[in-house]
Amino acid sequence: MTKKRTGVFVCHCGNNIAATVDVKRLAEEMTDEETVVYSQDYVYMCSDPGQNSVIQAIKDNQLDSVVVSCCSPNLHEKTFRDNAERAGISGFTCEIANIREQCAWVHKNREEATEKAIKISRSAIRRVAHNKALDPIAVPVTRRVMVIGGGIAGIQAALDVANAGLEVILVEKLATIGGHMLQLSETFPTLDCSQCILSPKMVEVSRHPNIKLMTYSEVQDVSGSVGNFRVKVLQKPTYVDPEACKLCDDCVQVCPVVVPNEHDLGLTARRAIHIPFAQAIPASYTLDVDACLGLNPIRCGKCKDVCEAGAINYDMQPRTVFEEVGAIIVATGFDLYGQENLGEYGAGKVEDVLDGLQFERLCSASGATKGHVLRPSDHKVPKEVVFIQCVGSRDPAQHCAYCSKICCMYTAKHARLYKHHVPDGRAYVFYIDIRSGGKGYEEFVQRTMEDDETIYLRGRVSKLHRTRDGKVRVLGTDTLTGQNVEIDADMVVLALAMQPSKGTEQAAKVLKIGRDKDGFLAEAHPKLKPVESVTAGIYLAGAAQGPKDIPETVSQASAAACKVLALLSQDTLSHAPTVAKVRESHCTGCEMCVDACPYQAIRLLNGKAVVNEVLCEGCGTCAGTCVRAAIDVKNVTQLQIHAMISAIMGG
Amino acid sequence: MVKVEDIQQCAAGLLEKGQVKSVLGFRRGTAGAMAEPCTITEAAEAGTLVWDPTCLNNLALYLVKDRKQQAASKTPDIRPIGIVAKGCDSRAVAVLLQENYFKREEVFVIGVSCEGTGVIDPKKVATLLKGRSPSRVEFDGADGFKLTLRGGEMQVPAREILADRCLECRAASPALNDVVFGEPSGERGYATPFHAAKEALGASETERWAAWEHHFDRCLRCFACRSVCPMCYCPECVVDSTSFVIEPQTSAEEKANRIKWCERSPNTSESAVYHLTRAIHLAGRCVDCGECERVCPVNIPLRLLNTMLEMEAFEMFHYQAGHDLSQASLLSSFRDEDPNSFIR
Ligand SMILES: Cc1cc2nc3c(=O)[nH]c(=O)nc-3n(C[C@H](O)[C@H](O)[C@H](O)COP(=O)(O)OP(=O)(O)OC[C@H]3O[C@@H](n4cnc5c(N)ncnc54)[C@H](O)[C@@H]3O)c2cc1C
Ligand code: SF4
Ligand code: SF4
Repeated sequence: MTKKRTGVFVCHCGNNIAATVDVKRLAEEMTDEETVVYSQDYVYMCSDPGQNSVIQAIKDNQLDSVVVSCCSPNLHEKTFRDNAERAGISGFTCEIANIREQCAWVHKNREEATEKAIKISRSAIRRVAHNKALDPIAVPVTRRVMVIGGGIAGIQAALDVANAGLEVILVEKLATIGGHMLQLSETFPTLDCSQCILSPKMVEVSRHPNIKLMTYSEVQDVSGSVGNFRVKVLQKPTYVDPEACKLCDDCVQVCPVVVPNEHDLGLTARRAIHIPFAQAIPASYTLDVDACLGLNPIRCGKCKDVCEAGAINYDMQPRTVFEEVGAIIVATGFDLYGQENLGEYGAGKVEDVLDGLQFERLCSASGATKGHVLRPSDHKVPKEVVFIQCVGSRDPAQHCAYCSKICCMYTAKHARLYKHHVPDGRAYVFYIDIRSGGKGYEEFVQRTMEDDETIYLRGRVSKLHRTRDGKVRVLGTDTLTGQNVEIDADMVVLALAMQPSKGTEQAAKVLKIGRDKDGFLAEAHPKLKPVESVTAGIYLAGAAQGPKDIPETVSQASAAACKVLALLSQDTLSHAPTVAKVRESHCTGCEMCVDACPYQAIRLLNGKAVVNEVLCEGCGTCAGTCVRAAIDVKNVTQLQIHAMISAIMGG
Repeated sequence: MVKVEDIQQCAAGLLEKGQVKSVLGFRRGTAGAMAEPCTITEAAEAGTLVWDPTCLNNLALYLVKDRKQQAASKTPDIRPIGIVAKGCDSRAVAVLLQENYFKREEVFVIGVSCEGTGVIDPKKVATLLKGRSPSRVEFDGADGFKLTLRGGEMQVPAREILADRCLECRAASPALNDVVFGEPSGERGYATPFHAAKEALGASETERWAAWEHHFDRCLRCFACRSVCPMCYCPECVVDSTSFVIEPQTSAEEKANRIKWCERSPNTSESAVYHLTRAIHLAGRCVDCGECERVCPVNIPLRLLNTMLEMEAFEMFHYQAGHDLSQASLLSSFRDEDPNSFIR
C-alpha cells in the first residue's frame, strides 16, 4: 500500500473552538502522525477563503485524504466533502473530527480540552487512512409524494405539490379531510369564518387531477428510503359507495343507533351511518361499524333497505394498497390535552366546563346550537363566562412543560366571540401572561380588552366546582391586586394544551421518525431544518411538529412542499456509498442482521446475507448485531473503529 | 423413569430405516462411572447407548462439528442426524435452528426428560465421597441417585450432587423433540431460577470486580470453554487472532488489516475482553448447559457470566434462549414495548 497523504485542517470557529482548544498546538502536533503531510489552522475554515485554502492545499500537496477538525459533521461534512471533490479527490476520503460540540463547548479547562481535541483529531486521521474513495450510488427517484394527515397542513402541502405537477396521495385517517380547522368557528386575528376559508381548499383537493385522496385510511408500514419509499396503506371500509351515494340522508333517518358526534365533540349526537358534516370531502356517508348493530340484514339492515341509490354495501372489505413515493410529508396534527388529566378542574366531569374546541362548536353556525352560545346543561344563554388560559401547559410538575402558543390568542378570540353573541354578558380571562407575538395579534388582544370589555385577571385558578344553583364556582387569585377571586360562572372554557395527536404517535412509529421530549415530531435541526425530519425524504408540517396556529401551519406546509419539490426535481438521487458490506467467509447466515436492519436492506441469499445498497442507510445496526463481525459498513469498518479507539487510548 | 431400552430401540429403528445417517448419544466411558459421547452408525451398536446421571455433555456440539466437517468435505453427507437430547441439549439445537445453522429436517431429536433430577456434578461427588470414585451412578426414584462404590451401594438425594445448572433448570424435559422419553418435568423446587447470579449480585461492585479480576488473571486462554460451546461455532472468533479465516482469495491487505480486539497473551485485561465479549455474544443464546464451566481447567465460574445475561434477557425482555424457535434472536429484535429505562 502506498503511503497515505493526509491533510489536517483545524478550524478556530471564531472563538468557539479557539477559546478552549489550543488550535495552533493541535495543528502542529498532528504533523507527528505518520500519514499527515500537511496541517494548518484557520479562523473560519467554512468561510470562502477557508474553503479555498482547503482546495488549494489538497492540490498543492497531492493530498489523498482530509481531516477537518471543526464542528459537527451534521453542519459541514458536506461542505468539506464538496471541497475535496472540487480539488479532484473523492469526497469520501474527507472526515470530520468534531472538536466543537464534542470538545470545546463542553469543557472549560484549556489544557485538557486541547488534549482531547488532539485525541479526537488523531482518531479521525487513523480512520481516514483506511477510507476508500467510494463513488456515490445513483438511485432513480419516484416522482410522487405522500402526504399523511388531511388537516390544513396536509391540504396546503398536497395542493402546493400537486400544483407543481407532481402526483400526490393524501392519506387521512378520518372520513373527511379538514382536521381541527373544520371545528373552528371564526379564526384570529381577522375573525373570518374558518369553514369559509377552508372549504374551497378542500374542494380543490377533491377535484385536483394530481391528488389521489384516501380517506378513512392509515399508513401501516413503510420501507425503502428517500426517493423510493414503498408505503402500505390500509383503507377501512365505509360501507357506502361514494360514487353512488346521492347524499339524500334517507339512511340517517332510519338508523336506530345514536352515538355522540365527534365532529361536535359530543355536544350533539349522530347515527351509526352518518356524514361527518354537510361539506365533508369526500362528500359521502360513512357507516360506523363499531356503532352499527351488526352489518347484517337480520339484525337491522334498515339503511340498506331505504337507500334507493343502492350505495350501501355491507360486504365492503378493508383494502390494502401499496404506494410508491419519493417523499413523505407528515401532517398528523394535534389533540387537546385530555380534560380527564385535570383533577383540579373537575377532570371533565363538571357540567358546563368546556374545552376550547367545544366552545368553537357552540359559536359555529353549523354547530350544536346553530351558532347561539347556549350552555350545554340547560340551553340557557350564559351571562358570566370564565376563560382559563394555560390549562395543562407550562406546568412541568404535573402536565406539559411547554407553552402551547395559541391559547392566548384563541382565548382572546373566544372572549370576543362570546361578547359578540352575548353583548350584555361578562367575560373573564385568567392568564399567566399574554403572549401575542404575530402580525396583528397584540392589537387583537387589545381590542378584546378594550372594545369588548373582557376582564383579564392575572393569576391561576386553583379549583372549580358546580354549585347547587347550577353555576360553576371558580376559585382563583388575581396576583396583580393580591386578592382571591371567586366567580360564580354560568360556563367555563378551558384553554387546554395542544399535544401531539395519537395519530402522530402512530405515524412516527410506522415511519420510524423521531419525536421530541414532548412527543411532537422532531425536526432535523431546530433552526436550520425546521421542516425536515431526521430521516431523509420525510418532511414535517403543522401542529404535529409543535403547537402552531393556522398561518404558521400553512407556512410550514408550503415550506415542506418546497423542500419536496426541490428533492424530486432531480432525476436521480445520489445515495451515500457508505453502506454495509458482508464478508461472506464469515457469514453463517444466522439472519440476525436481517431481523435487526431497520431498513429491511438485508436478505439471505444461498445462506449468506446480502445487502441492498440502495436501501441501506449505513446505520451500522447490522455491524453491531453480528457476533461474527461478518458485516461492516464501508468507511466505518471495524478495522477503522479499532484504529480510532487505539488512537484515543493513546496507542 | 426413562428406560434406556426405549432410547436404544428408537436409535436402532432410525438407523435401520435409514432415517438418519448416525445417532449422537452416550456410551459407557472407559474409566470410572462417567458416560462419554458417541456416534453410532449401525443399528447393531444401539445396545451400547446408555442413559444415566453422568451423561453430562451437550451433544449439540457434535451436530455443529458434523456440519463443519460436511462443509469442508468434497462429498458432503447431509443426511439427517439423530441426537439424544436432554432439556438443555434440545434448547441448544433450537438456538442453532433459529440461527439457520441447519434445517429442522436435518436433525432428529430423541428427547430425554431429566424428570425430577438431572446430571451430577463430578466435583460434588468427589467432595461427598472424599475423593473416592463411584463405579456407577444411576437414577434412583424421583429425586435421588444411587452410587455404586467398592464397598457397596449408597443412596444420595439429588440436590446434594446435582450440577448447579440442573438445580436452576426450568425446562428439564426437551420442548423441541421428535420423540420424547420420560415424564415431562414440572416445578422441581431445587433453586429459584438464576439463583447463583442473583446471589453473586449481592456483593458490591468492587468486590465483584476484584473476584473477576482474579478469575481473568488465572485464565490460560486455552479456549476450552469456546471449544465445548455449541454456540461458539463462528468460523473466526473475533477475540482470538489465531483463529483468523484465511482463504485463497484473502488478500495481503486483508491479512495485514486483521483486527486484534484482544491480544493473544493471557493477561488480565486481555482475558477480560475475551470472556466479556464471549458472554455478550452469548446473550440470548446461552442455554445454560454449563459445559464451559465444567471444562475450565482453572475453575472459572463462567456460568455466572452467562446466566447473568440470560437473567437480564428474561427479566427485561421475557426472552429464554431456545424456548421458541419462531422468535427472532434476542440481539436482533426490537419491540416498542421493550423497556429502555437504561438508555439515558
Ligand atoms: C380551540 C382552538 C382554537 C383555535 N383557533 C385558531 C384560530 O382562531 N386561528 C388560528 O390560526 N389557529 C387556531 N387554532 C389552531 C389550529 O387549529 C391549528 O393550527 C391547525 O388546525 C393545525 O393544523 P394541522 O393540519 O397541523 O393539524 P390538524 O388540524 O390536527 O389536522 C391533522 C389531520 O391529520 C389527521 N391524522 C392524524 N393522524 C393521522 C394518521 N396517522 N394518518 C392519517 N391521518 C392522520 C387527523 O385526522 C387530522 O385530519 C385553534 C386551535 C384550537 C384548539
Ligand atoms: S448477522 Fe452476521 S453472520 Fe448473521 S447473517 Fe448477518 S452477516 Fe451473516
Ligand atoms: S448499515 Fe446494516 S442495518 Fe443499517 S441500513 Fe445498512 S444493512 Fe441495514
